[in-house]
Amino acid sequence: MKNQWIDFLFGMVTVKITGKGIERFINVLTRNEIIIWNVKRHGTETITFQMKLEDAKNIRYFARHTDCQITFLKRKGVPFLFRRLLKNSGFLTGAVIFLLIIFLLSNVIWGIEIKGAKPDTEYQIRKELDRMGVKIGKLQFFVKNVEGIQRELTNNVGNLTWVGVELKGTTYHLQVVEKNEPEKQKELSPQNLVAKKKAIIVKTFVEEGKKVVDIHDYVQKGQLLVSGEIGQDGENVKLVPAKGKVWGETWYKSHVEQPLDTKFKVLNGNEKQRHALAFGKFELPIWGFKDPEYKQFEMEKTIYKLHFLKWVLPVSYIQTTIRESEDIIRSYTKEQAEQIALERAKKEIKSRLDEDAMFKDEKILHKEVKNGKVILDIHFKMIENIAVEQPISKETRE
Amino acid sequence: MAKKWGQRVRNWMAKKMDLPQDVMMDLPRITMIGQIHIYIENHRGLLAFTDKELRLLLKQGQLLVKGKSFVIKTILPEEILLEGKIDQVLYINENSGGTK
Repeated sequence: MKNQWIDFLFGMVTVKITGKGIERFINVLTRNEIIIWNVKRHGTETITFQMKLEDAKNIRYFARHTDCQITFLKRKGVPFLFRRLLKNSGFLTGAVIFLLIIFLLSNVIWGIEIKGAKPDTEYQIRKELDRMGVKIGKLQFFVKNVEGIQRELTNNVGNLTWVGVELKGTTYHLQVVEKNEPEKQKELSPQNLVAKKKAIIVKTFVEEGKKVVDIHDYVQKGQLLVSGEIGQDGENVKLVPAKGKVWGETWYKSHVEQPLDTKFKVLNGNEKQRHALAFGKFELPIWGFKDPEYKQFEMEKTIYKLHFLKWVLPVSYIQTTIRESEDIIRSYTKEQAEQIALERAKKEIKSRLDEDAMFKDEKILHKEVKNGKVILDIHFKMIENIAVEQPISKETRE
Repeated sequence: MAKKWGQRVRNWMAKKMDLPQDVMMDLPRITMIGQIHIYIENHRGLLAFTDKELRLLLKQGQLLVKGKSFVIKTILPEEILLEGKIDQVLYINENSGGTK
């Protein structure tokens, strides 16, 4: 028998024939290679059968010479389904648009919550976010990823120690830790000021307390500088918190090595973008198929996750940036290298000391060029505040 | 007379060469599956069809199938598949004064 699925694919119709000489008409049809099936008799002058849609177009031609009337009853099959689909395409497009709108709205930033920030910091953060394009109503695709936002915020907003950015659904949650200035101690307990290292006193400035040392004195580490005990010759002794600054000349030695030739990896500005859709682990490239002919390169991947309502879709959008890199050799002359080594040494010492420490003098003790390196031993004279507080405990008092 | 003679030759050949009769002699081949299906090959056209009766033209004579609730499942120029409840299959010879 014939394959009904193929008939379904190409469409079939149920035909009703009324009139006389129906049998003759059927013979005509069969002799003309028109296949009919499910022939049923309904009463004396009516017959129904099914036939292919293709043949149904020609049936009128054969019926012309007979006394039969032809009515088409049912239409079945893919062509009719398709026609109905086109007719009802409004519903389909509506459904698609609906899903599309929900999808778009699921990827819009609907809220930015900032926690743990003082109002003025919050205002600053909001301004910075605005500048970056993180605004309510913006699409998440056009916004940097969370790490980027975090980095930029910490860099650009001054009084932030740390900011944690988290994307929950359509809301950015920012957890802020501000730089807190240590609160000034209002009431100090009695204390002395002692030397933090050996030095020669250069300048003193005492707010409170009794100065024990003088300019040009040589002090050892831990030596008393400003006493918190005031009074006259052991009488009317009063304990006060000694306050003040004692500037002393201190000495540091540092050893630096500066290679003459340094290898660097730099990006030379050539870059290519690649776009891909990722389904789970499989990546389907959409744009940028060509392999860049870079000898050395660095890749950066940004993954945008797509959301639908509260779910994260298994599909994500990946943007890959490939940047060409080059090796560059930077070479210094001996003098330059020396200069740089000196700068480095200064910087390194400065970073260990207080903000207000000053360089007084430097002296290169030893200079050597070995294995393509300049090796320096430098002696620095610094002027810095050497006073540190030391509380006076009751037990140590005589 | 010539036709009769030809018929005889064919009959003789079919017998001697062990060929199926329907091929040699244009006879209908009827296959029945119980009472429900009847499959007739080598017919020469539909004469009458109701839900109780099917009349087919053969090369010689007619074939009458009687029964209940007939449906023609397939009809091709020389084949027909009938479904329903078949009670009788009758051959009607031209000579005995059939409809045609």
